[in-house]
Amino acid sequence: MAEIAQDSGGGGHKKGDKVRSKKMSTRIDFTPMVDLGFLLITFFMLTTTLAKPQIMALVMPEKDIKKEDIEPVKESKVLTLLLGANDKVYWYEGITDAKLDSTDYSAEGLRKVILDKMNKVKGQFGEEDYEDFKTKEPRKGSFINVIIKPTEEARYKNLVDALDEMAICKVRYYVILDVSDLEKQFIKNPAGGLKFNVEEQIQAATQ
Amino acid sequence: MPKHKPKRGAPSVDMTAMTDVAFLLLTFFMLTAKAKPQEAVVVDTPSSISETKLPESGTITILIGPDGKTYLDMTGQHTRKSLIADVNSRYKLGLTEEEQVKFSNAGSFGIPRAQLKKWLDLSPSERNTFPTPGVPIDTADVNKSELADWIHNARIAQFRMKQEGVVKDEYVMVVKADKDTPYPAVQHVINTLVDINVNKFNLITSSESDPNKKAEEGSEK
Repeated sequence: MAEIAQDSGGGGHKKGDKVRSKKMSTRIDFTPMVDLGFLLITFFMLTTTLAKPQIMALVMPEKDIKKEDIEPVKESKVLTLLLGANDKVYWYEGITDAKLDSTDYSAEGLRKVILDKMNKVKGQFGEEDYEDFKTKEPRKGSFINVIIKPTEEARYKNLVDALDEMAICKVRYYVILDVSDLEKQFIKNPAGGLKFNVEEQIQAATQ
Repeated sequence: MPKHKPKRGAPSVDMTAMTDVAFLLLTFFMLTAKAKPQEAVVVDTPSSISETKLPESGTITILIGPDGKTYLDMTGQHTRKSLIADVNSRYKLGLTEEEQVKFSNAGSFGIPRAQLKKWLDLSPSERNTFPTPGVPIDTADVNKSELADWIHNARIAQFRMKQEGVVKDEYVMVVKADKDTPYPAVQHVINTLVDINVNKFNLITSSESDPNKKAEEGSEK
C-alpha cells in the first residue's frame, strides 16, 4: 500500500527524462514481526498461568484411633452413601431400620438427597454457628454427618463427585470409610435390613 | 528560504523499539514457562468445583492410571539426586553416578526397584514403550510396600534439602487419578499414605462451574 501511495505522489514522468534507477528504501516493515511477537507472548502468558491444575484437599482420619477419643454421633444426623457400580449411589439414613435407596450423581439425584437430609437435620437440631475459614464471616451450618463408602465396583470419578457434592452442599462433617461386609449384603438384599452392631464396629476401628 | 512542503504518503512509525520490547517479553515468558514433563501414563482427571490451585512448593505426585497402575513423580532435581543416592546405597541397586543423574531428570516412573537400573539405561523414547508394572504396593505389610518406602525416603530427602537451604518447602502430596480408575487402586494408595502418617493430600481435578455461584449470579440479574 505504501508503495502505491508513493508512486501516485511522485507524479508521472516528464518527456525526455532519463530513466534513473529508483533508490530503494532499506527500511523493513516490522509490523508483521511485532504481530507475531505479541501473538507468541499472549500464548506463553496464557499457558503459564493456565497450566496450574486445580486441587481438592482431602484429609483422612488417622490410622490409630483410641477408644476414648470416639465421640458418638446421633443416628438421625447421619447419612451414609454407598458408591456402587455403574455410577449408582445407594444411601440410607441412620442405622436402626435403615431403608436402602439408590440415586445417581446428578443435581436432582444425590444433591437433592443431601439437601433433604440437611433440612431434616435442621428441623430437628437447628443450625450450627461457625466462622468461615477464609473470610472469618459468621455462617450457619448443618449438623449433618455424611459417611462416604465407596465399594470395590466404584470408579475414582464417583468418589470425586461425591466429595464435590460435599463442597457444593457445604457439608462440614464427612468422612471416607471402607465399606463393611454388612453393607455389601445390604446392597444385595435391601429387604434383609442392616444389622449393624455399634460395639463391634468400634472394636474393629480401634484395633 | 526553502519551501516547506507538507509531507506526503503514509507516516511510518519506527517499529524497532516495539519489536525489542515484544521479543524481550517473549523471551522472558518462554524461559519462565516450565516445559510440561512427560508423564508415564495419560490421565483424564475428573472435574470438581474446587478453585484451589496447586501450590508452588515441591510436590510428590502419585499417578494412578485407568488400569490401576501406580506411578510416582517428585519435583526438585537436588532432592531426587539425594533420594536415589540414599535408596541406591540402602538397597544396593548398583547404580552408577551417571544413572543417578538420569534418575534425577527422569520424571515419573512406575517400575519396581529391582528393575530400576535396567529402566534408567534406556533412552527416554524407549522408556515409553518399556512395559511398566507400576510401583509395587503391598497392601498387607506397609514395610514391604515400595510406594510407601519411596514416599517416606523422598520426604526425608526433601527435609534434608530444606535444612541445607536448597529448597524452601516440604513436600505436598498430590494424587492424580483417572476418571475410570477403579476405586480399590485409589484405596490402596490412600491406605498406604495413611499408614505412613500422611493424612493430608490433594486430589487433582479439572475445573467445573459451581452451581451455587451460578444460582447467585442468576438471582442478582
